Amino acid sequence: MTKEAVQGATEEEQQAQSKKAMKKQQKEAEKAAKKAEKQAKLTAEQQTTEEDDFAKDRYGVPAMVQSQQKLDRELVRVQDLTPEKADQLIWLRARVHTSRAKGKQCFLVLRQQQFNVQALVAVGDRASKQMVKFAANITKESIVDVEASVRKVEQKIESCSQQDVELHIERIFVVSQAEARLPLQLEDAVRPDGEGEEEGRATVNQDTKLDNRVIDLRTTTSQAIFRLQSGVCQLFRDTLTNKGFVEIQTPKIISAASEGGANVFTVSYFKTSAYLAQSPQLYKQMCICADFDKVFCVGPVFRAEDSNTHRHLTEFVGLDIEMAFNYHYHEVIDSITDTMVQIFKGLRDNFQTEIQTVNKQFPSEPFKFLEPTLRLEYTEGVAMLREAGVEMGDEDDLSTPNEKLLGRLVKEKYDTDFYVLDKYPLAVRPFYTMPDPNDPKYSNSYDMFMRGEEILSGAQRIHDAQLLTDRATHHQIDLEKIKSYIDSFRFGAPPHGGGGIGLERVCMLYLGLHNVRQTSMFPRDPKRLTP
Amino acid sequence: MPMYQVKPVSGCDVQVDLPTCMYKLPNVHAQHGNSCSPEHALQNGEVDPAVKALEARQDEIMRKLYELKAAVEGLAKTVTTPDADLDLTVSSSLSSQVCSSSTFKGTTDLDTLLGKDLGALRDIVINANPAQPPLSLLVLHSLLSQRYRVLSTVHVHSSVTSVPPQLLSCLGPRHADSYARHMFQLGFTLIWKDVPKLQMKFSVQNMCPIEGEANVARFLFKLLAPYPADPAAATLVDSWLDTAFFQLVEGSTKERAAVLRALNSALGRTPWLSGPEFSLADIACYCCVLRTGSAASAPANVQRWIKSCENLGHFGPAKLLLQ
Repeated sequence: MTKEAVQGATEEEQQAQSKKAMKKQQKEAEKAAKKAEKQAKLTAEQQTTEEDDFAKDRYGVPAMVQSQQKLDRELVRVQDLTPEKADQLIWLRARVHTSRAKGKQCFLVLRQQQFNVQALVAVGDRASKQMVKFAANITKESIVDVEASVRKVEQKIESCSQQDVELHIERIFVVSQAEARLPLQLEDAVRPDGEGEEEGRATVNQDTKLDNRVIDLRTTTSQAIFRLQSGVCQLFRDTLTNKGFVEIQTPKIISAASEGGANVFTVSYFKTSAYLAQSPQLYKQMCICADFDKVFCVGPVFRAEDSNTHRHLTEFVGLDIEMAFNYHYHEVIDSITDTMVQIFKGLRDNFQTEIQTVNKQFPSEPFKFLEPTLRLEYTEGVAMLREAGVEMGDEDDLSTPNEKLLGRLVKEKYDTDFYVLDKYPLAVRPFYTMPDPNDPKYSNSYDMFMRGEEILSGAQRIHDAQLLTDRATHHQIDLEKIKSYIDSFRFGAPPHGGGGIGLERVCMLYLGLHNVRQTSMFPRDPKRLTP
Repeated sequence: MPMYQVKPVSGCDVQVDLPTCMYKLPNVHAQHGNSCSPEHALQNGEVDPAVKALEARQDEIMRKLYELKAAVEGLAKTVTTPDADLDLTVSSSLSSQVCSSSTFKGTTDLDTLLGKDLGALRDIVINANPAQPPLSLLVLHSLLSQRYRVLSTVHVHSSVTSVPPQLLSCLGPRHADSYARHMFQLGFTLIWKDVPKLQMKFSVQNMCPIEGEANVARFLFKLLAPYPADPAAATLVDSWLDTAFFQLVEGSTKERAAVLRALNSALGRTPWLSGPEFSLADIACYCCVLRTGSAASAPANVQRWIKSCENLGHFGPAKLLLQ
């Protein structure tokens, strides 16, 4: 009414104005209508979602597993997902490796250790739009339980280890959620060196990896490395047990430094101080004197060497062997080299997938060896080096570059990555090394090399207290400090020899890696004490 | 020198008064003149007494050498059997000379053939495929072990999964002294490896690998006896070698038959393939005939020659492998 009156009153004079106002009003009305419409649509939509999410029970974050109930649900391993399982409905627990939403469907890659499989949530009669959205928002590295049907795929899925099948997810529950921001991305951590730089993609440097070792260890490369390492230990134990060796345990807290005295960690021991064992050698030898005949032990060894190289750790796992022999210390060499060859063969035959996995990130030539192992004498090694132009004395120790060079020369001629160098000069070996019976310049001692790097150092030990005393005096060692060592040979000791192998180095060199930290699960070096 | 020598007209040491106001330089001529004078002081026809003395010394040495040679020959005659107990440390080359004198004539010296001993074992490495055992090299190995102190080792490379036991023992039992590598003159390291072609490596620095069984056989044989000095004879041996390895072993049935016919006619003319002496050609051809299994169907002259080869007793290791 008023509107009309006003309109009528001002029709003449305010024609222009009224026109403007009308337009304005019209616009406003339109706006309001739109708003109302939007509101209505939104509420309607909300209503429909609440009402229409038929899949509400098929996804979500259930209560934390506190062992409330014991389900008899059988979980299938990712590695067992083969075409034979096609069209079965299975339950699976795995990590979300990656997720990628694409319209009405979401692709997930589910990972379990080094195996992974592609999974798919798609809007359909089993999954709703909301479920797809939920799946797409699950953070990487979260652990999920899924129920899914296994489907064969026509085209191989190249990016996954299970290439012939994929999963069509019907239910998905988050068991443990990962934080959204990961300290490092798994894909970056397994990217081969060099490749990242070319394509401008990130690679993860070693310290970041080691600081976040838990995530780094989840990578396929790390999984393969440590599975192989476990294999080395297993093969070492099996081979030696079959040869009649006895596994022993030796103390790691000791009262006196076993070798010479340098490079030991001192620890406080109640009112006095003690040392961390540098090698179990003394105890191995005492076991030989106690008639155990052949012994080995696997355990930590500590070296307080402040050297930050690619191959030194302050704590590592030592695989130590000691055995009594009948007439010649080559019986010991034969035993040790045969053990190594059995390990190499076992790895070659049973760990091919692991080796291939590591090779993807760190390419290297396959490890080659001879059976029986090649044994060269020190003088031959020196002659080979001299022929290659190296100047060195007869009794000089091999420097690290010379060891590498000799390794290359031996590989060139004999095509083996593993060999023994025998008869080292007496002057460069510890005091307990048995001198050569024919030439006082040399000794009954040997080193073993893998890919040109020393992995084992060993010798026939002096088993005669008098000779041991003489040698110690010659080396100007305080006899008081090693009294207990010398005394253990006073009551009859069989001739014996042995050596110690560094587990991490063996793994590193077998796989052709370039840093021992990669093969040590939680490495300890002068600059790293955590994690 | 284009002209004959003349004694200096004046003596060398003529005193010249030199001014002392300038600094001195060494006499550039004096050096030359001094070194020349005693040498060229002799006019044509005269002989330097020093040369005379040298000649006399050489004659003396030659005479002593002849005496020594006669003594050694006398000694060699007294030792009639090859396995006579001779002290190895006294003279290994002497004893080996006796052993192989019946087989090969001519002496060889490892130092001149393989280069100076650097105080380490001279190791010959042979990579062979276990599918084709190099029979001729095994025969040469046993001949070498009669001549020298040879350290023989057999290895299996990781590229090969398993090797029949007779291939592992094909170089005979382990030498009793094998723990001391430096006591041997020569190393013979056989590695069973997955190689397409037999390969030999000796000195990695100065020598490229030698490929093919025939070529390695030539190398090894030269350590036993020099090749015939006559180029024609040497070529004959070479050609038999190639015939054996390329036509007999790798050839078709037709080619094999042709080679056997050629062998038959050659052996009709001479007792051995390259003439009156047993040679590398016989070793190679015998091993290849053995390997191809064509011994039974061979013509008469070849049969006779096979018998003669077997009588020599060098082919034990090769025959053992084929059983």
